Amino acid sequence: MSDEKITYTEAMHRLETIVSTLERGGMGLDETLKLYEEGADLLRLCKTELSAAEGRLHELQLDDIETELQAEEQ
Amino acid sequence: MTGRGGVTTGPLPIGQFVQLVKQTVVRDPLFKNQALRGEVTQWKQYPSGHTYFSLRDQDGQMRAVIWKGRCAIDSSIKEGSEVVVLASLDLYVRRGEIQLNVERIEPVSILGELEKTKRLLVEQLRKEGELDRERLAIPLPPKHIAIITGAGSAALSDMQQLIENRWPGLRRTVIGVLVQGPRATEEIVRGLAVARKLADPVRARKRGEPPVDLVIVGRGGGSPEDLWSFNLEPVARAIIASPVPVVSAVGHESDILVSDLVADLRASTPSDAVERVVPVLPELHYFLDEYQERLTNASRRQISDNRQRLRTLHARLRVAPMAGLNRAKAQLFALTSRMKVSSNQSLSIQTTRLAQFEASLAAIHPQRVLERGYSMTQTTDGSVVSSIACIEVGQNITLNFADGSADAEIKKTHTNEGEK
Repeated sequence: MSDEKITYTEAMHRLETIVSTLERGGMGLDETLKLYEEGADLLRLCKTELSAAEGRLHELQLDDIETELQAEEQ
Repeated sequence: MTGRGGVTTGPLPIGQFVQLVKQTVVRDPLFKNQALRGEVTQWKQYPSGHTYFSLRDQDGQMRAVIWKGRCAIDSSIKEGSEVVVLASLDLYVRRGEIQLNVERIEPVSILGELEKTKRLLVEQLRKEGELDRERLAIPLPPKHIAIITGAGSAALSDMQQLIENRWPGLRRTVIGVLVQGPRATEEIVRGLAVARKLADPVRARKRGEPPVDLVIVGRGGGSPEDLWSFNLEPVARAIIASPVPVVSAVGHESDILVSDLVADLRASTPSDAVERVVPVLPELHYFLDEYQERLTNASRRQISDNRQRLRTLHARLRVAPMAGLNRAKAQLFALTSRMKVSSNQSLSIQTTRLAQFEASLAAIHPQRVLERGYSMTQTTDGSVVSSIACIEVGQNITLNFADGSADAEIKKTHTNEGEK
Protein backbone atom coordinates (compact mmCIF):
# COMPACT_ATOMS: atom_id res chain seq x y z
CA MET A 1 0.00 0.00 0.00
CA SER A 2 1.04 3.60 -0.53
CA ASP A 3 2.10 6.12 2.11
CA GLU A 4 -1.36 7.65 2.22
CA LYS A 5 -2.95 4.51 3.56
CA ILE A 6 -6.03 5.14 5.61
CA THR A 7 -5.95 5.18 9.40
CA TYR A 8 -7.45 2.59 11.69
CA THR A 9 -10.33 4.91 12.54
CA GLU A 10 -11.08 5.64 8.89
CA ALA A 11 -10.92 1.93 8.14
CA MET A 12 -13.42 1.20 10.90
CA HIS A 13 -15.81 3.86 9.56
CA ARG A 14 -15.56 2.47 6.04
CA LEU A 15 -16.13 -1.04 7.40
CA GLU A 16 -19.28 0.10 9.15
CA THR A 17 -20.56 1.61 5.90
CA ILE A 18 -19.72 -1.51 3.90
CA VAL A 19 -21.29 -3.90 6.39
CA SER A 20 -24.47 -1.88 6.79
CA THR A 21 -24.78 -1.49 3.01
CA LEU A 22 -24.50 -5.24 2.61
CA GLU A 23 -26.94 -5.81 5.46
CA ARG A 24 -29.50 -3.50 3.88
CA GLY A 25 -29.43 -5.83 0.90
CA GLY A 26 -30.45 -5.35 -2.72
CA MET A 27 -26.88 -5.51 -4.03
CA GLY A 28 -25.93 -7.22 -7.23
CA LEU A 29 -23.48 -10.07 -7.18
CA ASP A 30 -20.62 -7.99 -8.59
CA GLU A 31 -21.12 -5.23 -6.08
CA THR A 32 -21.43 -7.71 -3.21
CA LEU A 33 -18.14 -9.35 -4.08
CA LYS A 34 -16.41 -5.99 -4.51
CA LEU A 35 -17.64 -4.78 -1.12
CA TYR A 36 -16.73 -8.06 0.54
CA GLU A 37 -13.19 -7.87 -0.79
CA GLU A 38 -12.81 -4.25 0.29
CA GLY A 39 -14.10 -5.15 3.77
CA ALA A 40 -11.73 -8.06 4.08
CA ASP A 41 -8.80 -5.82 3.08
CA LEU A 42 -9.83 -3.25 5.69
CA LEU A 43 -10.04 -5.91 8.39
CA ARG A 44 -6.55 -7.10 7.51
CA LEU A 45 -5.28 -3.52 7.67
CA CYS A 46 -6.86 -2.98 11.11
CA LYS A 47 -5.29 -6.14 12.50
CA THR A 48 -1.89 -5.09 11.14
CA GLU A 49 -2.31 -1.68 12.76
CA LEU A 50 -3.09 -3.27 16.13
CA SER A 51 -0.04 -5.49 16.10
CA ALA A 52 2.11 -2.54 14.96
CA ALA A 53 1.33 -0.81 18.27
CA GLU A 54 3.17 -3.43 20.27
CA GLY A 55 6.86 -2.94 20.86
CA ARG A 56 9.64 -2.09 23.22
CA LEU A 57 9.12 -0.46 26.59
CA HIS A 58 11.79 2.10 27.50
CA GLU A 59 12.03 3.78 30.87
CA LEU A 60 14.77 6.38 30.94
CA GLN A 61 15.86 9.32 33.04
CA LEU A 62 15.73 12.66 31.28
CA ASP A 63 19.54 13.08 31.33
CA ASP A 64 20.14 9.60 29.95
CA ILE A 65 17.77 9.90 27.04
CA GLU A 66 19.11 13.35 26.23
CA THR A 67 22.65 11.95 26.14
CA GLU A 68 21.46 9.08 23.98
CA LEU A 69 19.81 11.45 21.51
CA GLN A 70 22.86 13.71 21.42
CA ALA A 71 25.08 10.72 20.66
CA GLU A 72 22.79 9.87 17.74
CA GLU A 73 23.14 13.36 16.37
CA GLN A 74 26.93 13.08 16.09
CA MET B 1 38.65 28.03 81.27
CA THR B 2 38.22 31.49 82.59
CA GLY B 3 34.78 33.05 82.95
CA ARG B 4 34.02 36.25 81.17
CA GLY B 5 34.24 38.22 84.36
CA GLY B 6 37.49 36.45 85.12
CA VAL B 7 36.30 35.94 88.66
CA THR B 8 36.27 32.15 88.79
CA THR B 9 38.42 29.51 87.31
CA GLY B 10 37.72 25.87 86.53
CA PRO B 11 34.83 24.36 84.63
CA LEU B 12 31.83 26.64 84.19
CA PRO B 13 28.44 25.22 85.17
CA ILE B 14 26.48 24.66 82.01
CA GLY B 15 23.50 26.67 83.23
CA GLN B 16 25.71 29.73 83.61
CA PHE B 17 27.14 29.16 80.18
CA VAL B 18 23.71 28.91 78.63
CA GLN B 19 22.74 32.10 80.42
CA LEU B 20 25.81 33.77 78.93
CA VAL B 21 24.89 32.57 75.46
CA LYS B 22 21.37 33.81 75.96
CA GLN B 23 22.56 37.26 76.94
CA THR B 24 24.77 37.45 73.87
CA VAL B 25 22.02 36.25 71.58
CA VAL B 26 19.33 38.47 73.00
CA ARG B 27 21.50 41.54 72.94
CA ASP B 28 22.58 41.17 69.32
CA PRO B 29 20.51 43.62 67.21
CA LEU B 30 20.76 41.30 64.23
CA PHE B 31 18.50 38.82 66.05
CA LYS B 32 15.99 41.42 67.26
CA ASN B 33 12.70 42.13 65.50
CA GLN B 34 13.79 40.28 62.41
CA ALA B 35 11.24 39.69 59.64
CA LEU B 36 11.42 36.02 58.69
CA ARG B 37 9.65 33.95 56.13
CA GLY B 38 8.94 30.24 56.13
CA GLU B 39 6.46 27.43 56.33
CA VAL B 40 4.60 26.57 59.53
CA THR B 41 4.98 23.02 60.83
CA GLN B 42 4.12 21.31 64.11
CA TRP B 43 1.58 24.08 64.73
CA LYS B 44 0.15 23.63 68.23
CA GLN B 45 -2.07 25.98 70.20
CA TYR B 46 -2.13 25.06 73.91
CA PRO B 47 -4.99 25.68 76.35
CA SER B 48 -2.61 27.96 78.24
CA GLY B 49 -2.96 30.34 75.30
CA HIS B 50 0.63 29.96 74.07
CA THR B 51 1.23 28.75 70.53
CA TYR B 52 4.23 26.69 69.54
CA PHE B 53 5.40 25.79 66.05
CA SER B 54 8.43 25.43 63.83
CA LEU B 55 9.26 27.79 61.00
CA ARG B 56 11.04 26.06 58.16
CA ASP B 57 12.02 26.06 54.55
CA GLN B 58 14.04 23.63 52.46
CA ASP B 59 17.35 24.81 53.99
CA GLY B 60 16.64 25.06 57.70
CA GLN B 61 14.21 25.43 60.57
CA MET B 62 13.74 26.82 64.07
CA ARG B 63 11.28 26.44 66.94
CA ALA B 64 9.04 29.42 67.57
CA VAL B 65 6.57 30.54 70.20
CA ILE B 66 3.79 33.09 70.31
CA TRP B 67 3.15 33.98 73.93
CA LYS B 68 -0.45 34.30 74.99
CA GLY B 69 -2.01 37.56 73.86
CA ARG B 70 1.21 38.77 72.21
CA CYS B 71 -0.39 39.24 68.78
CA ALA B 72 -3.42 38.44 66.68
CA ILE B 73 -3.22 35.13 64.86
CA ASP B 74 -4.93 34.88 61.48
CA SER B 75 -7.34 31.96 61.59
CA SER B 76 -6.21 30.77 58.16
CA ILE B 77 -2.76 29.88 59.53
CA LYS B 78 -2.35 26.16 59.86
CA GLU B 79 0.09 23.35 59.28
CA GLY B 80 1.90 24.04 56.01
CA SER B 81 0.98 27.74 55.78
CA GLU B 82 3.55 30.08 54.37
CA VAL B 83 3.99 32.96 56.84
CA VAL B 84 6.04 36.03 57.58
CA VAL B 85 6.85 36.61 61.25
CA LEU B 86 8.39 39.47 63.13
CA ALA B 87 10.50 37.74 65.80
CA SER B 88 13.45 38.02 68.12
CA LEU B 89 15.84 35.28 68.98
CA ASP B 90 15.60 33.88 72.45
CA LEU B 91 17.16 30.98 74.27
CA TYR B 92 15.20 28.69 76.52
CA VAL B 93 17.79 28.15 79.18
CA ARG B 94 16.28 25.02 80.75
CA ARG B 95 16.68 23.11 77.51
CA GLY B 96 19.41 25.15 75.92
CA GLU B 97 17.24 25.54 72.89
CA ILE B 98 17.17 28.53 70.66
CA GLN B 99 13.72 29.70 69.72
CA LEU B 100 11.96 32.59 68.11
CA ASN B 101 9.73 34.85 70.20
CA VAL B 102 7.14 35.89 67.69
CA GLU B 103 5.76 39.44 67.95
CA ARG B 104 3.65 39.35 64.80
CA ILE B 105 2.61 36.68 62.33
CA GLU B 106 1.01 37.11 58.88
CA PRO B 107 0.05 34.51 56.30
CA VAL B 108 1.74 34.97 52.94
CA SER B 109 -0.40 34.57 49.94
CA ILE B 110 2.13 33.23 47.45
CA LEU B 111 -0.76 31.45 45.86
CA GLY B 112 -2.38 34.83 45.33
CA GLU B 113 0.74 36.00 43.52
CA LEU B 114 0.90 32.83 41.45
CA GLU B 115 -2.78 33.05 40.58
CA LYS B 116 -2.20 36.52 39.23
CA THR B 117 0.61 35.41 36.90
CA LYS B 118 -1.50 32.44 35.82
CA ARG B 119 -4.41 34.71 34.93
CA LEU B 120 -2.15 36.96 32.92
CA LEU B 121 -0.69 33.98 31.07
CA VAL B 122 -4.13 32.59 30.24
CA GLU B 123 -5.21 36.00 28.99
CA GLN B 124 -2.09 36.27 26.83
CA LEU B 125 -2.58 32.77 25.38
CA ARG B 126 -6.21 33.53 24.65
CA LYS B 127 -5.22 36.71 22.83
CA GLU B 128 -2.76 34.73 20.74
CA GLY B 129 -5.54 32.28 19.85
CA GLU B 130 -3.72 29.35 21.46
CA LEU B 131 -6.75 28.40 23.53
CA ASP B 132 -8.97 28.11 20.45
CA ARG B 133 -6.43 26.37 18.26
CA GLU B 134 -7.59 23.21 16.60
CA ARG B 135 -6.62 20.23 18.74
CA LEU B 136 -4.76 17.26 17.34
CA ALA B 137 -6.69 14.02 17.23
CA ILE B 138 -5.64 11.24 19.58
CA PRO B 139 -4.29 8.42 17.39
CA LEU B 140 -6.03 5.08 17.43
CA PRO B 141 -4.19 2.92 18.07
CA PRO B 142 -1.28 4.90 19.52
CA LYS B 143 1.86 3.26 18.15
CA HIS B 144 4.36 4.92 20.43
CA ILE B 145 3.46 6.83 23.58
CA ALA B 146 5.92 9.09 25.39
CA ILE B 147 5.14 9.44 29.08
CA ILE B 148 6.73 12.40 30.83
CA THR B 149 6.39 12.12 34.60
CA GLY B 150 8.25 11.56 37.84
CA ALA B 151 10.59 8.55 37.59
CA GLY B 152 9.59 5.95 40.16
CA SER B 153 6.46 7.90 41.10
CA ALA B 154 3.23 6.27 42.15
CA ALA B 155 1.56 8.01 39.19
CA LEU B 156 3.96 6.27 36.80
CA SER B 157 3.49 2.82 38.27
CA ASP B 158 -0.31 3.32 38.22
CA MET B 159 -0.13 4.23 34.53
CA GLN B 160 2.19 1.33 33.67
CA GLN B 161 -0.09 -1.11 35.46
CA LEU B 162 -3.18 0.25 33.77
CA ILE B 163 -1.60 0.20 30.31
CA GLU B 164 -0.49 -3.41 30.78
CA ASN B 165 -4.03 -4.33 31.81
CA ARG B 166 -5.55 -2.64 28.79
CA TRP B 167 -3.00 -3.29 26.08
CA PRO B 168 -0.14 -5.56 27.14
CA GLY B 169 3.10 -4.68 25.38
CA LEU B 170 1.92 -1.36 23.99
CA ARG B 171 5.04 0.49 22.82
CA ARG B 172 5.99 3.34 25.15
CA THR B 173 8.93 5.43 26.27
CA VAL B 174 8.95 6.86 29.78
CA ILE B 175 10.96 10.05 30.22
CA GLY B 176 11.61 10.43 33.94
CA VAL B 177 11.64 14.08 35.06
CA LEU B 178 11.29 16.07 38.27
CA VAL B 179 7.68 17.18 38.60
CA GLN B 180 8.06 19.23 41.78
CA GLY B 181 10.47 21.79 43.16
CA PRO B 182 12.48 24.55 41.53
CA ARG B 183 13.83 22.42 38.67
CA ALA B 184 10.53 20.82 37.71
CA THR B 185 9.51 23.38 35.10
CA GLU B 186 12.80 23.16 33.25
CA GLU B 187 12.81 19.33 33.31
CA ILE B 188 9.24 19.04 32.07
CA VAL B 189 10.09 21.38 29.19
CA ARG B 190 13.19 19.32 28.37
CA GLY B 191 11.12 16.15 28.56
CA LEU B 192 8.69 17.58 26.01
CA ALA B 193 11.67 18.51 23.80
CA VAL B 194 12.87 14.90 23.94
CA ALA B 195 9.38 13.69 23.01
CA ARG B 196 9.41 16.08 20.06
CA LYS B 197 12.70 14.57 18.84
CA LEU B 198 11.30 11.06 19.21
CA ALA B 199 8.27 12.13 17.16
CA ASP B 200 10.50 13.00 14.21
CA PRO B 201 9.94 10.27 11.60
CA VAL B 202 13.51 10.46 10.23
CA ARG B 203 15.06 10.04 13.64
CA ALA B 204 12.55 7.33 14.54
CA ARG B 205 13.54 5.37 11.43
CA LYS B 206 17.16 5.62 12.51
CA ARG B 207 16.23 4.40 15.97
CA GLY B 208 14.31 1.55 14.42
CA GLU B 209 10.99 2.31 16.07
CA PRO B 210 7.79 4.11 15.07
CA PRO B 211 7.82 7.83 15.85
CA VAL B 212 6.19 8.97 19.07
CA ASP B 213 2.59 9.78 18.13
CA LEU B 214 1.17 10.68 21.54
CA VAL B 215 2.58 12.37 24.66
CA ILE B 216 1.24 12.09 28.18
CA VAL B 217 2.67 14.65 30.56
CA GLY B 218 1.62 14.73 34.17
CA ARG B 219 1.96 13.73 37.78
CA GLY B 220 -0.16 12.65 40.73
CA GLY B 221 -2.11 15.09 42.83
CA GLY B 222 -0.57 17.57 45.25
CA SER B 223 -0.98 21.02 46.70
CA PRO B 224 -1.56 23.84 44.20
CA GLU B 225 2.06 24.93 44.75
CA ASP B 226 3.31 21.42 43.99
CA LEU B 227 1.50 21.43 40.66
CA TRP B 228 2.51 24.95 39.79
CA SER B 229 4.95 24.06 37.01
CA PHE B 230 1.92 23.05 34.94
CA ASN B 231 0.67 26.63 35.21
CA LEU B 232 3.83 28.19 33.87
CA GLU B 233 4.47 29.63 30.47
CA PRO B 234 7.49 27.47 29.43
CA VAL B 235 5.47 24.27 29.95
CA ALA B 236 2.43 25.73 28.19
CA ARG B 237 4.56 26.81 25.21
CA ALA B 238 6.26 23.42 24.99
CA ILE B 239 2.88 21.68 24.93
CA ILE B 240 1.63 24.02 22.21
CA ALA B 241 4.79 23.44 20.15
CA SER B 242 4.36 19.65 20.16
CA PRO B 243 3.85 18.21 16.66
CA VAL B 244 1.94 15.26 18.15
CA PRO B 245 -1.04 15.37 20.52
CA VAL B 246 -0.29 16.01 24.19
CA VAL B 247 -2.46 14.82 27.07
CA SER B 248 -2.30 16.91 30.23
CA ALA B 249 -2.53 14.35 33.05
CA VAL B 250 -2.12 16.12 36.36
CA GLY B 251 -4.04 14.83 39.37
CA HIS B 252 -6.27 17.60 40.59
CA GLU B 253 -9.87 18.15 41.42
CA SER B 254 -11.04 21.69 40.99
CA ASP B 255 -8.66 24.22 39.49
CA ILE B 256 -7.96 23.95 35.81
CA LEU B 257 -4.26 24.17 35.04
CA VAL B 258 -2.82 26.08 32.10
CA SER B 259 -1.48 22.76 30.76
CA ASP B 260 -5.09 21.51 30.69
CA LEU B 261 -6.12 24.53 28.66
CA VAL B 262 -3.46 24.18 25.99
CA ALA B 263 -3.20 20.38 25.77
CA ASP B 264 -4.96 18.40 23.04
CA LEU B 265 -6.71 16.35 25.70
CA ARG B 266 -7.26 17.04 29.37
CA ALA B 267 -7.34 14.19 31.86
CA SER B 268 -8.12 14.54 35.56
CA THR B 269 -5.40 12.09 36.65
CA PRO B 270 -2.60 10.09 35.05
CA SER B 271 -4.80 6.98 35.18
CA ASP B 272 -7.65 8.88 33.56
CA ALA B 273 -5.25 9.81 30.76
CA VAL B 274 -4.44 6.14 30.15
CA GLU B 275 -8.11 5.23 30.13
CA ARG B 276 -8.82 7.90 27.57
CA VAL B 277 -6.03 7.14 25.12
CA VAL B 278 -5.19 3.47 25.53
CA PRO B 279 -7.96 1.26 24.19
CA VAL B 280 -8.64 -2.16 25.65
CA LEU B 281 -7.01 -4.47 23.10
CA PRO B 282 -9.40 -7.45 23.51
CA GLU B 283 -12.30 -5.05 22.88
CA LEU B 284 -10.73 -3.91 19.62
CA HIS B 285 -10.25 -7.52 18.59
CA TYR B 286 -13.83 -8.21 19.53
CA PHE B 287 -15.03 -5.33 17.31
CA LEU B 288 -12.95 -6.59 14.41
CA ASP B 289 -14.25 -10.15 14.87
CA GLU B 290 -17.77 -8.81 14.95
CA TYR B 291 -17.24 -6.89 11.71
CA GLN B 292 -15.68 -9.97 10.16
CA GLU B 293 -18.78 -11.95 11.07
CA ARG B 294 -21.23 -9.32 9.89
CA LEU B 295 -19.32 -8.88 6.66
CA THR B 296 -19.32 -12.60 5.95
CA ASN B 297 -22.95 -13.11 6.90
CA ALA B 298 -24.22 -10.12 4.96
CA SER B 299 -22.23 -11.11 1.87
CA ARG B 300 -23.51 -14.69 2.09
CA ARG B 301 -27.07 -13.44 2.41
CA GLN B 302 -26.55 -11.18 -0.59
CA ILE B 303 -25.31 -14.09 -2.65
CA SER B 304 -28.21 -16.31 -1.65
CA ASP B 305 -30.64 -13.44 -2.27
CA ASN B 306 -29.18 -13.09 -5.71
CA ARG B 307 -29.56 -16.82 -6.32
CA GLN B 308 -33.17 -16.66 -5.13
CA ARG B 309 -33.88 -13.72 -7.39
CA LEU B 310 -32.40 -15.64 -10.30
CA ARG B 311 -34.69 -18.59 -9.56
CA THR B 312 -37.72 -16.38 -9.40
CA LEU B 313 -36.79 -14.72 -12.67
CA HIS B 314 -36.32 -18.11 -14.27
CA ALA B 315 -39.75 -19.25 -13.15
CA ARG B 316 -41.36 -16.07 -14.36
CA LEU B 317 -39.61 -16.39 -17.67
CA ARG B 318 -41.18 -19.78 -18.22
CA VAL B 319 -44.73 -18.61 -17.61
CA ALA B 320 -44.29 -15.28 -19.35
CA PRO B 321 -45.57 -16.30 -22.88
CA MET B 322 -48.74 -17.87 -21.42
CA ALA B 323 -49.32 -14.81 -19.40
CA GLY B 324 -49.05 -12.71 -22.57
CA LEU B 325 -51.53 -14.87 -24.36
CA ASN B 326 -54.00 -14.70 -21.50
CA ARG B 327 -53.64 -10.99 -21.38
CA ALA B 328 -54.33 -10.75 -25.15
CA LYS B 329 -57.41 -12.94 -24.75
CA ALA B 330 -58.74 -10.76 -22.03
CA GLN B 331 -58.15 -7.71 -24.16
CA LEU B 332 -59.94 -9.28 -27.08
CA PHE B 333 -62.91 -10.18 -24.92
CA ALA B 334 -63.13 -6.67 -23.61
CA LEU B 335 -62.97 -5.24 -27.11
CA THR B 336 -65.66 -7.60 -28.36
CA SER B 337 -68.11 -6.72 -25.70
CA ARG B 338 -67.44 -3.04 -26.17
CA MET B 339 -68.05 -3.48 -29.88
CA LYS B 340 -71.35 -5.28 -29.26
CA VAL B 341 -72.62 -2.52 -27.11
CA SER B 342 -71.75 0.16 -29.61
CA SER B 343 -73.20 -1.71 -32.64
CA ASN B 344 -76.46 -2.39 -30.78
CA GLN B 345 -76.75 1.27 -30.17
CA SER B 346 -76.28 2.18 -33.87
CA LEU B 347 -78.78 -0.54 -34.91
CA SER B 348 -81.55 0.92 -32.86
CA ILE B 349 -80.83 4.38 -34.24
CA GLN B 350 -81.10 2.99 -37.74
CA THR B 351 -84.34 1.16 -36.99
CA THR B 352 -85.92 4.40 -35.89
CA ARG B 353 -84.71 6.16 -38.98
CA LEU B 354 -86.11 3.32 -41.14
CA ALA B 355 -89.56 3.67 -39.57
CA GLN B 356 -89.51 7.37 -40.33
CA PHE B 357 -88.65 6.61 -43.95
CA GLU B 358 -91.51 4.11 -44.13
CA ALA B 359 -93.96 6.67 -42.83
CA SER B 360 -92.94 9.32 -45.34
CA LEU B 361 -92.89 6.73 -48.09
CA ALA B 362 -96.46 5.69 -47.20
CA ALA B 363 -97.58 9.30 -47.44
CA ILE B 364 -96.60 9.49 -51.10
CA HIS B 365 -97.86 5.98 -52.14
CA PRO B 366 -99.94 6.17 -55.51
CA GLN B 367 -102.81 4.39 -53.80
CA ARG B 368 -103.34 7.50 -51.66
CA VAL B 369 -103.61 9.59 -54.89
CA LEU B 370 -106.13 7.20 -56.47
CA GLU B 371 -108.18 7.40 -53.30
CA ARG B 372 -108.52 11.13 -53.92
CA GLY B 373 -110.24 10.41 -57.40
CA TYR B 374 -107.24 10.27 -59.72
CA SER B 375 -106.63 7.20 -61.88
CA MET B 376 -103.42 5.65 -63.23
CA THR B 377 -103.06 4.41 -66.84
CA GLN B 378 -100.90 1.41 -67.68
CA THR B 379 -100.09 -0.17 -70.99
CA THR B 380 -100.50 -3.88 -71.42
CA ASP B 381 -96.86 -4.44 -70.55
CA GLY B 382 -97.49 -2.73 -67.17
CA SER B 383 -95.63 0.54 -67.73
CA VAL B 384 -97.28 3.66 -66.38
CA VAL B 385 -98.50 6.11 -69.04
CA SER B 386 -97.50 9.62 -68.04
CA SER B 387 -97.80 11.32 -71.52
CA ILE B 388 -100.23 11.30 -74.48
CA ALA B 389 -97.22 10.73 -76.66
CA CYS B 390 -96.83 7.18 -75.21
CA ILE B 391 -100.13 5.94 -76.72
CA GLU B 392 -101.77 5.77 -80.06
CA VAL B 393 -105.27 5.16 -81.42
CA GLY B 394 -106.42 1.55 -81.27
CA GLN B 395 -104.02 0.66 -78.34
CA ASN B 396 -105.41 -1.32 -75.38
CA ILE B 397 -104.81 0.19 -71.94
CA THR B 398 -105.77 -0.50 -68.33
CA LEU B 399 -107.24 2.24 -66.12
CA ASN B 400 -106.45 1.75 -62.41
CA PHE B 401 -108.73 3.17 -59.70
CA ALA B 402 -108.43 3.03 -55.96
CA ASP B 403 -110.79 0.10 -55.64
CA GLY B 404 -110.47 -1.64 -59.09
CA SER B 405 -109.46 -1.40 -62.74
CA ALA B 406 -111.00 -1.28 -66.25
CA ASP B 407 -109.62 -2.27 -69.71
CA ALA B 408 -110.20 0.28 -72.54
CA GLU B 409 -109.29 1.00 -76.23
CA ILE B 410 -108.02 4.41 -77.46
CA LYS B 411 -110.50 5.95 -80.01
CA LYS B 412 -108.88 9.33 -80.46
CA THR B 413 -106.03 11.35 -78.92
CA HIS B 414 -105.82 15.08 -78.15
CA THR B 415 -102.69 16.94 -77.30
CA ASN B 416 -103.04 19.97 -74.92
CA GLU B 417 -102.37 23.37 -76.51
CA GLY B 418 -98.96 24.66 -75.73
CA GLU B 419 -97.73 21.22 -74.54
CA LYS B 420 -96.27 20.31 -77.82
